[in-house]
Amino acid sequence: MTNDASNELLGSVREHVVNEQPMHIVGGNSKAFLGCKLSDVDDAATVSLNNHVGVVNYEPTELVFTARSGTLLSDVVQTLKQSGQQLPFEPPQLPGATLGGTLACGLSGPARPYGGAARDHTLGVRVINGKGELLRFGGEVMKNVAGYDVSRVQVGAYGTLGLLLEVSLKVLPLPETTLTLAFEQNEHDTTPMVQLARRFLPVTAAALIGRTRYIRLAGSDAGVQAAAKELGGERVVDNEPWQGLRDLNHEFFNDPRPTWRISCADYTPALTIPNDEDGQPAKVLYDWGGAQRWIKTSLASHALFEIAANANAHATRFSTAMNNEPSHQPISGVSARLQRELRTSFDPLRLFNRSRFHPELDS
Amino acid sequence: MSRLEKRQEFANQLRALVPQGQVLQSDEDLRPYESDGLTVFKASPLVVVLPATVAEVQAVLKWASKNSVPVVARGAGTGLSGGALPHEEGILLGLAKFNQILELNSEHGFARVQPGVRNLAISDAARPHGLYYAPDPSSQIACTIGGNVAENSGGVHCLKYGLTVHNVLAVTVVTIDGELVTIGAMGCDNAGYDLMALLTGSEGMLAVTVEVTVKLLPVPPVAKLVMAAFDSVESAGDAVGKVIAEGIIPAGLELMDSPAIKAAEAFAHCGYPTDAAAVLLCELDGTQAEVEAQIGRVSDVFNACAATQLHTAQTEEERLLLWKGRKSAFPAVGRLSPDYYCIDGTIPRRELSKVLSRMDELSKEFNLRIANVFHAGDGNLHPLILYDASVEGETERTEQLGSQILQLCVEVGGTVTGEHGVGVEKINEMCVQFDEATLQQFHSVKAAFDPVGLLNPGKVVPTLQRCAEFGALHVHHGQVPHPDIERF
Ligand SMILES: Cc1cc2nc3c(=O)[nH]c(=O)nc-3n(C[C@H](O)[C@H](O)[C@H](O)COP(=O)(O)OP(=O)(O)OC[C@H]3O[C@@H](n4cnc5c(N)ncnc54)[C@H](O)[C@@H]3O)c2cc1C
Repeated sequence: MTNDASNELLGSVREHVVNEQPMHIVGGNSKAFLGCKLSDVDDAATVSLNNHVGVVNYEPTELVFTARSGTLLSDVVQTLKQSGQQLPFEPPQLPGATLGGTLACGLSGPARPYGGAARDHTLGVRVINGKGELLRFGGEVMKNVAGYDVSRVQVGAYGTLGLLLEVSLKVLPLPETTLTLAFEQNEHDTTPMVQLARRFLPVTAAALIGRTRYIRLAGSDAGVQAAAKELGGERVVDNEPWQGLRDLNHEFFNDPRPTWRISCADYTPALTIPNDEDGQPAKVLYDWGGAQRWIKTSLASHALFEIAANANAHATRFSTAMNNEPSHQPISGVSARLQRELRTSFDPLRLFNRSRFHPELDS
Repeated sequence: MSRLEKRQEFANQLRALVPQGQVLQSDEDLRPYESDGLTVFKASPLVVVLPATVAEVQAVLKWASKNSVPVVARGAGTGLSGGALPHEEGILLGLAKFNQILELNSEHGFARVQPGVRNLAISDAARPHGLYYAPDPSSQIACTIGGNVAENSGGVHCLKYGLTVHNVLAVTVVTIDGELVTIGAMGCDNAGYDLMALLTGSEGMLAVTVEVTVKLLPVPPVAKLVMAAFDSVESAGDAVGKVIAEGIIPAGLELMDSPAIKAAEAFAHCGYPTDAAAVLLCELDGTQAEVEAQIGRVSDVFNACAATQLHTAQTEEERLLLWKGRKSAFPAVGRLSPDYYCIDGTIPRRELSKVLSRMDELSKEFNLRIANVFHAGDGNLHPLILYDASVEGETERTEQLGSQILQLCVEVGGTVTGEHGVGVEKINEMCVQFDEATLQQFHSVKAAFDPVGLLNPGKVVPTLQRCAEFGALHVHHGQVPHPDIERF
C-alpha cells in the first residue's frame, strides 16, 4: 500500500500549532511502553501516521532506501530482503512497528556495536517542525555535509524535534552466511567480549546470558567459516538468541518486573544492583558486547539513574510508566541547557510529545 | 578607533588571558593565517591567539563573548571551503598547540586526543597495537582531528568504515560563553539528543572542540588492491554498481578519469595505465579467506564490464604506491596547470554518466579543463578545474563553472558538498539546495548554541537576504519566495 498524507498531516499540525494544542505523534503504537506519560498532557491530540505509507525510492545498487514514516517496518525489511539487502542496525520488529517510530525512538538491535546504529544509517529526513513548517534535511546520498546534520539528530529524539514524514537510509547487502557460536564462561564477565572486539573478525553480535556467551559471525562464507574455526565454541542452530534480543521477547523479558536498559562502555564492570524491597535479586543480561545491559528490577527510577550515572552510563526504562516517573536518565548542566535550546529551536511551544522523552527539557 | 588601534587594544587585553607570545598581531605573523586550503579567499584577522590550555580557550571565548568579538577556530588550515577563513574584525583561534595524544587505550580500543593532533598521527600511534583510526582523508598527514570533526571528513575507506561521525565517541567543547561540556559517551549512545551528530560537521559554528575521543579499529589482517582499467568512464561507473549489486562492500572504491590518471602517473609513477579512459581502484580487506573469495568475485564483475586491464597489487609496497597515486591526485593535477579548483559534490551514482557528459559540455562552454577523481562507492565527485589565476577573468570563470557543477549535483538529487564543507565557498549554492524554512531552521539551531552569532559568523548558512541576491532560491508551487525582500 502506498499513500502520501503529507498535506493532511501538515494541515492538521498547523491547525494544532495555531491552537497551541499539544500532540501525541503515533505510528503503529508498538512502542507505547517507551517514555513517560505525565498527567498534564492527557488532553493531547493524536496525530497518526498510519495512513502515510509507502516506499518513495529504492534503488538497491545505490544502497539507499526512502520510505514514508508510517510504512510498516516489517514491509521495509521484506522489500529490502527481496533485493538481498537489510537495515544494518537490525531494529526491533515489534508487531505493528513503523519505520518512523523505529527511528524516532532510535532503536537498534544486537548488530549495533558492529554494524552501527539507526542514526549512523540515516541520510535524510523530511519533517514538520513544531511551527508547522515542512523541512527537508540531508538527502539520498551517502556523503553530505551541507548544513548541520539535523537528520541524525532527529533519530532518537522521540518526535520532540519534529514529526518525521519521510526517511532515507543507507542499506547494506545481507550477509552470505550467518552463524552463531556459544561458549561457557563466568557470569557477568564482559572481558571476553571486549577482547574479541579488538580482533579483526566478522563478528556481528555478542551477548552474555547467564553463563553462556553467544557470538554471531556474518559475512562471506569463506570468512565466516575461517573465523568459526579460529574461535571454536559450539554452533547454535536457528537465529537464537538474536531474534529474541532484537524484539525484546527473549525469555529473559518474561520476568514481570519492569525492564531497564543501561547503555555504558562495554568494559564497564558488572554493576552492583541492590535487591528489590522484597529481597528478589535483579536479573541482568549483557548485549552489544557488554555495552547494553538489560535489567529486570522493581527498584525506583531514581535508583537506576544513580547506578547508571556512577558508571558514566545512562538508563532507560522499557516498561510502561510507574507513578509518572521519568523513563530516561535526567540531563543536567550545560548539556541540558544546550538541549533545551535545541528543543526550543524546533518546537518552541513543546507541542510534540511533551514530557514523553526528557520532561526536564520541556519545563 | 582605527583598525590598528583596535588590534593593539585587543592584543593587550588578550595578553592578560594567555601568555604574551601566544597572541600574534604583526602583519608578518598574521599572514600564514590569511586563508585555508582554498586560497582564493583571503582575509586578515585582527589578532591570532594560540591558546595552549583548555582554561585559556575558555578565557578567550568568555572575553570574545563579553566584547562581542567574532572567533574563527583553525586546525591545520587544510580545509577546502574557506571554513577557517579569518574574520576581519575578529580573533583567529589557532589550535596547533593542542597536539598531544592524551590517552591511547589499546585494551578498550579508543584514543583521547587534543584537537590539534594530526589525523595520521593517531593511526601511527595506534598501529603498534594492531589498531588504527579509520577515516583517512587524503590530507591526513597534515589535517587535524579537530578539523576532521568540524568537517565530518571522509576518506578513501569511508564506504566500508564510515565518516568521522561514525568513528568519534565523544568530544569536549567550549561554548561561546566559555563553558566546558562533554558530548557523546564511551558506550554506544548518550542520554538526550544526539548532540555528537550535530556537532560533527558543524564547521566551527557551534562550539570550539578541545578534546576528541576516537574509536580505534583492529587493522585488517589482509588488504588487497585490484586496479581495473576501462575504455569509458561509463563502463567503469557501471562496474561500481555491479560490484555493489553482488553484495560486496569494498574497503575503498575510487574512480579516476583520463586527465586525473595521467596527472597522478606523472606525479607518483605508480604504474597507472595512461591510455585508459578510466581506472578503478578497488580495495578488499578482511581475513585471508574473505579477501581471496572477494577478489575472485570482483575480478569477474570487472571482466564482465569489459575491463581492458585487470591487475592485483602483488606486494604491500605496490598496493601503497597505487594508493599514493590516488591520494596525491590533487597536487598532481596542480602540476598540470598553474592553479586548480577542487569541487566536492555528491550525486546518486546512477546519474554519473549524465553528470559527466554535462560537465564535459560545461568544460567546453567555459573553456576550462576538468579532471575527475571520484569516491565512486559513495557517489562523492571531485572535479578539479584547471585554470590560471594570472589570466584576467579566469578565476571568476572558474568559480562560475564550479557553481554550475554544484547546481548540477543538486539537480540530479545530490548535494553541494560531500565532505569539504560549505564554509564561505558554497554559501550561495546552499540557497539552491535548501528552501527558506529549512535555512531558517539551520539559523535557529546555530542560535541554540551561539545566540549572538560570534562563532565563525557568515559561514555555512546563507541569510535569506543573500539568497535573494543570489536569485536562486527554490520556487515552490510557482510562488516567488519572500517577495517582501528587496531585490538587487
Ligand atoms: C590535498 C588535500 C586533500 C584533501 N582530502 C580530503 C579528503 O580526502 N577528505 C576530506 O574529507 N577532506 C579532504 N580535504 C579537506 C581538509 O583536509 C579537511 O576538511 C580537514 O578535516 C580539515 O582539517 P584542518 O585541521 O586543516 O581544519 P581547518 O582547515 O583548519 O578548519 C576547517 C574547519 O574546521 C573548523 N575547526 C578547526 N578546528 C576546530 C576546532 N578545534 N573546534 C571547532 N572548529 C574547528 C574551522 O573553523 C573550519 O571551519 C583535503 C584537503 C587538501 C588540501
